[in-house]
Amino acid sequence: MKKRYISTLFASMMMVSLALSACSGNTNNSPDNTGAAQGNNPDETAGGLKPYHLVMAFPGSTPKDLDAVNEAMSKYLQEKINATIELRPIDWGAWNDKTNLMFASQEPFDVIWTSSWQGLGQQVAKGQIIPVDDLINSYGKDIKQIIDPEVVEGGKINGKIYGVVTNKEFASTRGIVMRKDLVEKYGIDTSTLKELKDFTPVFEKIKAGEAGMTPIEAEANNSPLTQMLQYDGLGDGPGGVVRGTTDLKVVNMVATPEYMDLAKLMNEWYKAGFINKDAPTRNDGVANAVKAGKAFSYAVSMKPGIELQESRNTGMPMVAVELTQPFMTTGDTTSSMLAIPTTSSDPERAMMFINLLYTDKYLINLLNWGIEGTHYTKVSDNIIDYPQGVTSANSGYNLNQSWMFGNQMNTYLWKQEDPDLWSKYKTFNESAEKSPALGFVFAPDSVKNEITAVNNVSQQFSPVIVTGAVDPAVTIPDYLKKLEAAGVDKIIAEKQRQLDEWAKTNK
Amino acid sequence: MNKKEKESWVIHLFFGITSLLMILPLLLVLIASLTDEQSILANGYSFFPEKFSLDAYHYLFILDPGVIFRSYGVTIIVTVVGTIVSLLLTAMLAYPLSRTTLPFRNAFAFFVFFTLLFNGGLVSWYLVYARFIDLRDTVWALIIPGLLLNGFNVLIMRTFFTTTIPPTMIEAAHIDGAGEARIFAQFVVPLSKPVFATIGLFNTIAYWNDWYNSLVFLSRAKFFSLQYMLNMSLLNIQFLSQNSQNTNAASLMQSTPQETMRMAMAIIGIGPILLAYPFFQKYFVKGLTIGAIKG
Repeated sequence: MKKRYISTLFASMMMVSLALSACSGNTNNSPDNTGAAQGNNPDETAGGLKPYHLVMAFPGSTPKDLDAVNEAMSKYLQEKINATIELRPIDWGAWNDKTNLMFASQEPFDVIWTSSWQGLGQQVAKGQIIPVDDLINSYGKDIKQIIDPEVVEGGKINGKIYGVVTNKEFASTRGIVMRKDLVEKYGIDTSTLKELKDFTPVFEKIKAGEAGMTPIEAEANNSPLTQMLQYDGLGDGPGGVVRGTTDLKVVNMVATPEYMDLAKLMNEWYKAGFINKDAPTRNDGVANAVKAGKAFSYAVSMKPGIELQESRNTGMPMVAVELTQPFMTTGDTTSSMLAIPTTSSDPERAMMFINLLYTDKYLINLLNWGIEGTHYTKVSDNIIDYPQGVTSANSGYNLNQSWMFGNQMNTYLWKQEDPDLWSKYKTFNESAEKSPALGFVFAPDSVKNEITAVNNVSQQFSPVIVTGAVDPAVTIPDYLKKLEAAGVDKIIAEKQRQLDEWAKTNK
Repeated sequence: MNKKEKESWVIHLFFGITSLLMILPLLLVLIASLTDEQSILANGYSFFPEKFSLDAYHYLFILDPGVIFRSYGVTIIVTVVGTIVSLLLTAMLAYPLSRTTLPFRNAFAFFVFFTLLFNGGLVSWYLVYARFIDLRDTVWALIIPGLLLNGFNVLIMRTFFTTTIPPTMIEAAHIDGAGEARIFAQFVVPLSKPVFATIGLFNTIAYWNDWYNSLVFLSRAKFFSLQYMLNMSLLNIQFLSQNSQNTNAASLMQSTPQETMRMAMAIIGIGPILLAYPFFQKYFVKGLTIGAIKG
């Protein structure tokens, strides 16, 4: 009897140790090439490149005709860089799980879409993507000519470039969009609306004239306050640099007078019934309320073409009123980039491909809109429309994510869109005021626990304050106390320290 | 009303309310799937919608049938194949463990039991199925990982065999010249219908409801299961609305399926599994135990 117990004990110990060693042992394996099917054709082709199979992962739903587009792209790329391609869209909801598993299992793939709001900092910290400075200099020369160098700098972490920024709008303005039919009905003169306060009489008219309609729709993390507070958030966690200051001082935004003023205004509006009563608990998209005919306006982050975008979101014509000048932060410049994972067995080829996405008009449009004649037809040189009998709902290839890849300014525009949109983007970018901390990325690892604690506090207070449901004079001091207890000062001190370090090397 | 009648009223009322609590949410989903999109946006969900419409089903089955029918087929095939194979394997492992004459019986039993307490974690689990046995993008990825053999089910079955199959019967069969395989197939299996029904139902539900394997192992839409489709349509919307401050994410919101469509998908997803219950029902009456003596 005793003997048996001992042997089971040994057996179990062995299994545990085996299991443990299996977990720790996969970090320094060299990636094998199961996924990247190397063509075994030894012939050197034009350009002297061996055949190679590229895999590109990005978030999005899988379109029906993906294979056809893969094939068309591969055919074209074989001529250009002797590579075939497999696009691998991964559902937004599965993106984090799936990419983490791909990295953990050393799965070979060559290009990954990333962004500051989707794990860029983490991927760099874990060494999942490679720095690409040298690759850009040798295989991505054209990228440097297309994008403003300062924006390329914006993608730097610890002094190295980790992602190639998509050439799109790099700034945002903030403001309010309103229903066009009601703006006309009540004769609202939008030129007199310069700041949030000016909207009070407008909302009064709507409140009085349209029974049961919410003048301005807000929700837990998207209200006029969250949109209009002007600062550079410097990545994860609390603390930011107030817009217009140049001394690079990180402050707790909740403690600023601007926050208090906006919160007071929200509270007035809430009490006057301008903001929907259920705002603190809602979180399903403000545009839906307008779509349902229940609301008149909402606050939004803007860029050229916003009126059309929001009209599509709400299903009715909208008027946009910009209340701020364009402002560029690292969050904007790193909001969409292409990076190369460490598991890529041919990073050079991956960079050649990325470079083509910036220079090659045919390729980028194939990736974004599919095959001409099947998924779109040309109306004129740069304008496209759906072919006969095809709609956005039944199209076989409707990625509709042109802001994700390469050079958006090279992509076709739909018939309903502003034909001059790209040149407007250019002027918009050029006119943008750059944050003094542009190019700084905060590495939050050392204060992770504090950030979690602070986020928990914020989830409790922020929704009711930003929607105006409570009296800020009472609640904000309480909120600040709780934040302090959660360690907000430590995070801000750490941010300040890193920012000062960065300023020394970058100014 | 005497005391006994009163008591039974109370009991009836209690279970009536409990049943209602189960049925009403389901009913609400059904009604929402038949409601006009605009009235949901305007008034929220309601048992008495302003306007009925079959748009969601029309879209799913007529305008864009390929995707739904395909994943439906995948789910049904995987459930049927998976359940049968899984039942067979579970029984073939549990039965020997229930026989006292099996050498190293306890060591094997411990081996099964150990998996209930410890596992290698997600990454190593993924590595085995992705790198050593490459199941990625095959239909096997939906059948094998995590579902095919469940230690808990093996132990339930083993207990059942040890408690209900008399060893004397097996001996008698032996003496009459039956081999091990024949004893298992012609004596043990027919006598163990309740446990097969139970484990069968567990498996059926596990396979039918599984979406995680699709998420982890499939990168192409070819074999996505129905539940994955449903899950993703919900998760995508959740994700995009959380990031709605980002203008780019906001612009994607328009292409996500609408409320009524998601509800319709949920209803379609429930369908067949509801029909499976009555089929298994009659076997449950006999009851099951893991440890103690059955009354």
